[in-house]
Amino acid sequence: MTTNKAKDRKQKANEKQQNIIDALKDHGAKVYGDLDNGQFPKFSIPSRSVSNIVYDKKLRQYILGNSAALRSSRNSSQLRSFTQLMWLAFFANRLTHEKKSSTLRDVYYSSQAFAIEFEDQSESDNIIVDLEAVLSKPREDFHIFPEERSSIFGDLNIEYTIPGYEGKRMNLSNHPDGYAIGPSLTTAELVDTSAEIVIAIEKGGLFTRFVEEQVDKKFKSIIINTGGQAPRSTRTLLKRLHDEMGLPVIVLTDGDVYGEHIAMVIKSGSANAAHLRELTVPDAKWVGVWATDIEKFKLPTIPMTESDIKRCYDLQSDPRYQEGIWKKELDVFLKIKRKAELEAFSKYGLTNITDKYLPQKLELAKSL
Amino acid sequence: MSSIKEKFNQISPSEFFYRNRDLAGFSNPTRSLYTAVREFVENSLDACDQKGILPDVHMSIKAVDPEKPDPKPYILTVKDNGPGIESKHVPLAFGTVLYGSKFGLKQARGMFGLGATMAILYGQITTNKPVLVKSSTDGKIQDEFELLLDIQKNKPVILKHTTKEVTKQGLSVSICLEGDYAKAGSKIKDYVYETSLITPYATITFDDPKGEKFHYSKIVNEMPPAPTIIRPHAHGIDVETIRRMMVESQFEIPNIDDAMVEKVRKDLGLAKNNLAFTGIMDKAKKRWKTLSRPIRVVISLMSFLKMDFDKLNKIRIDDIDVPNKKLYYWDFGDSQSKSVDMDPESQYYKQLTGTVQGETLTTFLTKRFQRIGPSTAVKFAEFAGFKPEKRMGSMTNEELVKLSDSLQKFEGFLSPDPSCLAPLGEEPLAKGINKFFKPDFCEVTQRPASAYSGFPFIVEMGIAYGGEIRPGGPHVYRYANRIPLLYDEGSDVVLKVVNDTDWSRYKVKGDPPFVIVTHICSTRIPYKTVGKENVADRQEIERELRLGLQFLSRKLAAYMSKRGQAEMAKKRANLYAKYLPLIAQFCTELAGKTKEPNYKKLLEEEIIVDDKQS
Repeated sequence: MTTNKAKDRKQKANEKQQNIIDALKDHGAKVYGDLDNGQFPKFSIPSRSVSNIVYDKKLRQYILGNSAALRSSRNSSQLRSFTQLMWLAFFANRLTHEKKSSTLRDVYYSSQAFAIEFEDQSESDNIIVDLEAVLSKPREDFHIFPEERSSIFGDLNIEYTIPGYEGKRMNLSNHPDGYAIGPSLTTAELVDTSAEIVIAIEKGGLFTRFVEEQVDKKFKSIIINTGGQAPRSTRTLLKRLHDEMGLPVIVLTDGDVYGEHIAMVIKSGSANAAHLRELTVPDAKWVGVWATDIEKFKLPTIPMTESDIKRCYDLQSDPRYQEGIWKKELDVFLKIKRKAELEAFSKYGLTNITDKYLPQKLELAKSL
Repeated sequence: MSSIKEKFNQISPSEFFYRNRDLAGFSNPTRSLYTAVREFVENSLDACDQKGILPDVHMSIKAVDPEKPDPKPYILTVKDNGPGIESKHVPLAFGTVLYGSKFGLKQARGMFGLGATMAILYGQITTNKPVLVKSSTDGKIQDEFELLLDIQKNKPVILKHTTKEVTKQGLSVSICLEGDYAKAGSKIKDYVYETSLITPYATITFDDPKGEKFHYSKIVNEMPPAPTIIRPHAHGIDVETIRRMMVESQFEIPNIDDAMVEKVRKDLGLAKNNLAFTGIMDKAKKRWKTLSRPIRVVISLMSFLKMDFDKLNKIRIDDIDVPNKKLYYWDFGDSQSKSVDMDPESQYYKQLTGTVQGETLTTFLTKRFQRIGPSTAVKFAEFAGFKPEKRMGSMTNEELVKLSDSLQKFEGFLSPDPSCLAPLGEEPLAKGINKFFKPDFCEVTQRPASAYSGFPFIVEMGIAYGGEIRPGGPHVYRYANRIPLLYDEGSDVVLKVVNDTDWSRYKVKGDPPFVIVTHICSTRIPYKTVGKENVADRQEIERELRLGLQFLSRKLAAYMSKRGQAEMAKKRANLYAKYLPLIAQFCTELAGKTKEPNYKKLLEEEIIVDDKQS
């Protein structure tokens, strides 16, 4: 059973790899054909302009609408970005074949070896997003990863698939500082776990506290530090833990509008990644800190800033904040105009959050 | 009349200019050296222009003692291939102030030839050295003069006069003057450079004190048509000018001396025999039609005096009192003043009054002004409230002022005759601009003649872009009557018009390599200051400049958009050449091919695509 499952997973990973390689090849072949026929090659990219980002209620996330922009090598003002994208596809193709990974920063510098100039990293980042949109695949699939690292801790066995580590296994509770979530972990096979829940927490400080207080053992959980807004590799891993291991995901953030939105992005994605679909955990639950918790737990607060308040109003017009807990808590934040951090629980002792608050919330999560 | 002349003579013109030399541009060694160069070069060019000779002007400045620091004495020599000046006129031309041949009304660079004499005067004051003039009018004999100016008497002092045989005609003037070449040098070089631009038919050479040689060969071989001398226009006249014209129109009462009597006798055929009074009168009546005007006047006088030649010798005519019909004279024999009555019915009376009171108003107007015919003259007389037959000589001071004012105001005159103007012409101007700036684009225009305050003028303009023109334009080169204007450009009407233009409307952007040349030709340029460096913003001149500039700017805009398209196409072609091979390389590997696609034909295609189309 286990071996079958593993085989399955391996096959799945290989298929994914092959999909990317095929997509890249198709793309190249089309451009090749155009050139060979004496035509200026062109392709279309789904438009990522605000007007083309729509909320899909079924998918419970933002997706791109139907409008697409044509990028043509005939148009001299697009020629440069056309070439940049072709280079990136070429580069991604090599990475995928060689099973090597690269970072956004790497891409920026690698381009220079091929006489492709990017003004700055933000230009190369943009082209990467373009390629994601063209292929409808996240950059991680073609082996380009962000710099940001978040971490994971808990009883989870994984098996590496990256070159040089293939077949090597690791238990993620062996190192108390946690394991960085990077390319090798995101692409590793998830073998087995004793955990029954995933707790994503916004802050590194609390992550360490949770490890120290053995929240993993006490509550049979895998603890993930999102380090603020969760990076895409972390969101990918969260999705895999949920989908592949069948674990529920709960999110614990600061008691403010930004915290609420961190949870929302894990649940239903961001507008920035509207062109991608495999990054969300629609069943993820935000358990706190809620605006209503501030009163309930008598937490010390600080006043909201102008930009906090503006953010509240912005989110009120987001379709995802039109109902349930999301709407309710947002309204309360706006009403009390105060916020509380996770650390606020320390007022009642360092372990107050793990001893008192967390158990309550875990209980509550079951009914959410 | 006579009293005015006396006042004028109380201080000699040389002394007047000596006292006011700042006015003429001789205020300091720097400015003086520059002004002296200008005056001599312009005189040479004017002289050649007048005779239709393609000018070849050679100018040199040498330090007397190169080791001395500036300011120091320099020898300035300007030599031309012009008509030269006749030997007998040389001392007066260079040794007196207010002697010149430029009193007629036509366009010329200098006015009245004052400037050259001022330069000589300045040289003499600062170095006490004579002016050296070499002149040959026939290309065979050359007169060489060394002259000093007697400032008080306004007379030349000839130190030396020699002649020698030569092979070329022309004039060479050499003066020694205090100057500051270190400071004036760049202006003088600019002056020579800019002069040769607006005088493309002239060859100009300049040897500077440091041993540098600047040579500008002529680039066209045809002279622009020479201006004709014409009478003044009524709108451009003032009381003083009318007075001077009247003097010209009136014959003075002849001085009856021995020579005059001899002449009368001869003309009457009485050289040998001596007739009595009645005999003389009979003879005169018979020959009246053949007699010249002075002779007629003498006969008329004799008719009232009833004297023969002997008696006539013993009196002096004092006054002809036309209103009282009396003739006053001084009798030397009796040593007393006497008078006789004049019969107004006599034909001799008419002769005398005509002489004394000058022409009628209508004759005066039609004969002495341009563009006034008999009927216009009569209409004007009515407008001004004068009888058409009013004698000019009978006008009182008040009437003259009234006449002058009315001449200015009357709108029935035709606009001034531009034939006295000598614009350079579009073709030579364009050639000059192309030669000097080597631009990518050049366009010139000549506006039709217009006039301000009775002075005709023509505006010529050129515009040039790109090529070897340095960026930072528009660079404005201003000319007036073929003289470059180098100073005070800030307050000039040309600059005003240029600065009012929104160049971005004409697709001129950034730091453009861009030149504007303007040339205003007029019998009188309305300079703002005596330095003759900036032109006042007369409405009429401003309008012509504006229209000319607009016309040229539109041409420039058309060129600029073509140029823009060409640049764009080139840029685009470069982009394709750069990027298509890369695209080919990448897609070859992506598609898993070994041979690159054949994209070359895309590069060869002439690509004219509007960005928006694709």
